[in-house]
Amino acid sequence: MTFRTQRVAYPYFVVALLLFALQLVMGLYLALSYSHAVPQAVVDAFPFSTARAMHTNLLVLWLLLGFMGATYYAVPEETQSELAWPKLAYAQLALLSATGVAALVGFQFGWTQGRPLLEIPTSLDLLVVVGALMFLANVGVTILRARRFTATQGSLLAGLVFLALLYLFGIPFYENLAVDWYYWWWVVHLWVEGAWELVTAALMAFMLIQLTGVERKVVEKWLYVELGLFLFTGLAGTGHHYYWIAAPKYWLWVGGVFSALEPLPIALMLWDTWKAMKESHRPIEPRLTWVFIVGMAVLHFVGAGLFGFAHTLPQINYYTHGSQVTVSHGHLAFYGAYVLLNLSFFYFAIPRLKGFPGGRYDERAGHWGFWITSSALVGMSLAFAVAGVLQTYLERIQGQPYIVAQSPIRFWMLVVFLHGLLVLVGVVILIKHLLTLRPAPAAAGS
Amino acid sequence: MSERAAKLIFWIGTLSSLAVLLALTWDTHRSFDALTHADRLSPAVVEGKRVFEKHNCNDCHTILGFGGYYAPDLTRAYKRLGEDAVRLRLKSPEKVFADSYRKMPQQHLKPAEIDRLVDFLRWVSDIDNHDWPPQDSQARLKASTRRLLAGAALSPGAALVNQESCLACHALGGEGGDRGPRLEFIASRRDADWIARYLADPEALTPGAAMPKFDKLSEAQRRAIAEFVVSLAERRLP
Repeated sequence: MTFRTQRVAYPYFVVALLLFALQLVMGLYLALSYSHAVPQAVVDAFPFSTARAMHTNLLVLWLLLGFMGATYYAVPEETQSELAWPKLAYAQLALLSATGVAALVGFQFGWTQGRPLLEIPTSLDLLVVVGALMFLANVGVTILRARRFTATQGSLLAGLVFLALLYLFGIPFYENLAVDWYYWWWVVHLWVEGAWELVTAALMAFMLIQLTGVERKVVEKWLYVELGLFLFTGLAGTGHHYYWIAAPKYWLWVGGVFSALEPLPIALMLWDTWKAMKESHRPIEPRLTWVFIVGMAVLHFVGAGLFGFAHTLPQINYYTHGSQVTVSHGHLAFYGAYVLLNLSFFYFAIPRLKGFPGGRYDERAGHWGFWITSSALVGMSLAFAVAGVLQTYLERIQGQPYIVAQSPIRFWMLVVFLHGLLVLVGVVILIKHLLTLRPAPAAAGS
Repeated sequence: MSERAAKLIFWIGTLSSLAVLLALTWDTHRSFDALTHADRLSPAVVEGKRVFEKHNCNDCHTILGFGGYYAPDLTRAYKRLGEDAVRLRLKSPEKVFADSYRKMPQQHLKPAEIDRLVDFLRWVSDIDNHDWPPQDSQARLKASTRRLLAGAALSPGAALVNQESCLACHALGGEGGDRGPRLEFIASRRDADWIARYLADPEALTPGAAMPKFDKLSEAQRRAIAEFVVSLAERRLP
């Protein structure tokens, strides 16, 4: 940490981590609802739909708070100046957290917009917009005042502005269901396969420059290429969600061709990370931070790139669309890309915020946390994949009724649940480790 | 690669893809009305969409394949189940799913809300979305039933289905009404015994069922209908 105001990042990380744990508890309830018969009285009081709204909204909220915290950490370093309004950053965190809590409590009482992932009611949407404006103003003014522009922070800021603008498409009520889904995907797809990738690429570039000492020009050159490929494949790639929504047939071609190319930029990011590590001017440490960064690059490619490609072509998607195959891809992609990015950044930033020499820290528990969480997540995605293939074959190809085709899937949902328990164990280890991080033993002794 | 080339890749990649997305968005808007039959998108249907959202149906059910995967897709639910079965599920899910391992919450919908939801689901079921989902594909149901009916002329069950005008309410292949569930759907869920008993007294097996009794038929005739219906399943289940 070089600038005092970078400290505002820390409470963002803490809130994000606590919400993450809550998200996992909701996920366990969802998995159990698939594998076991939940009594009518429980379903009436706390339906699957409410728990799912909480599970997904918690995910989005904590990842975004993590991104915002990371941005507040990175921008002073990139601009070589203090943050414009540190107090505003705290107020923004309080506002967004309060909005999140109100939304979660509201879901339980049926206060919802009723559209998957965008359940937050309109009046709370407006508070989210206020929070986003506070954030963009703070970051924007800091950059403008410093008059020091880098490609890394340009990408970060562009991703965040793009993200905020797209959110607006999710707010209105659409009378026509097909039009509704058309713009729903402008939020959901263009977030995760557009704006969020910009943020990810920027934060990765930031960490690589700082950790390896590789020349900024080299890293940022590849950043341009990655961003170009992400947006080239991602923007028109939105079409892979338009196959079956009552849109014209040409989307089968556009969606198929562009999204088949979507693994390319992620592969480039993997290669780029690997290269930076090989050419590092500094020792590859702290080891655990690198485990997270490389783990992120690999699982991002597997979860988002390969698992996504597996069912993106319309000939396959006709049978797999809206099945557990999507769930399998969704879980590994979100974990590989955005959960691990956030955790990597936390492990990068927290030791520096605490002023540990060389950013080194006592790593032991964190390695356990990483391997337990990551292997359990991969196992969970494979269990979802088996469930998805079963569902696709039994329901879509054989034509069995939904509920009949579900019964062999229940066992695999139990397998998901058990892996979910392991994920929770791993994440609790990681949260405890991150929040009680100690300096590396050697450094402490010297 | 030079920095100049890298920047060029960025701008060309981004702007070309954005141009494709925006141009096709404009064109897609010109097609939505025809593909979704917007002329039938009445205020009642729109109100139904609001009810659908108010009760967060979409976080358990998919519609057009999007949403929760916890319950069946609703795109063609109206056609698959028929109007009466849809109403029954909305009104008393705790009765309909009493024996199921998967429950639907009793949301105490007002009668007007049920009417609007039915309007909404009826409109959705006619959307032209390239015949998705495959399990409700009209093309596939027609083809498989045509094959079956070719051999069914000799079947006494088929003759009785015809004589009793079952298709006034139930769909079969490309024919029939949509008040009751389509016969193929029943075929893959129920056995012949159950169907025969149901024909004698629907109310006894499904409280609130709108289906009339066929107790004027003999037991053998009911059995023949039941066996014909069961034979319609694409695959027999264990």
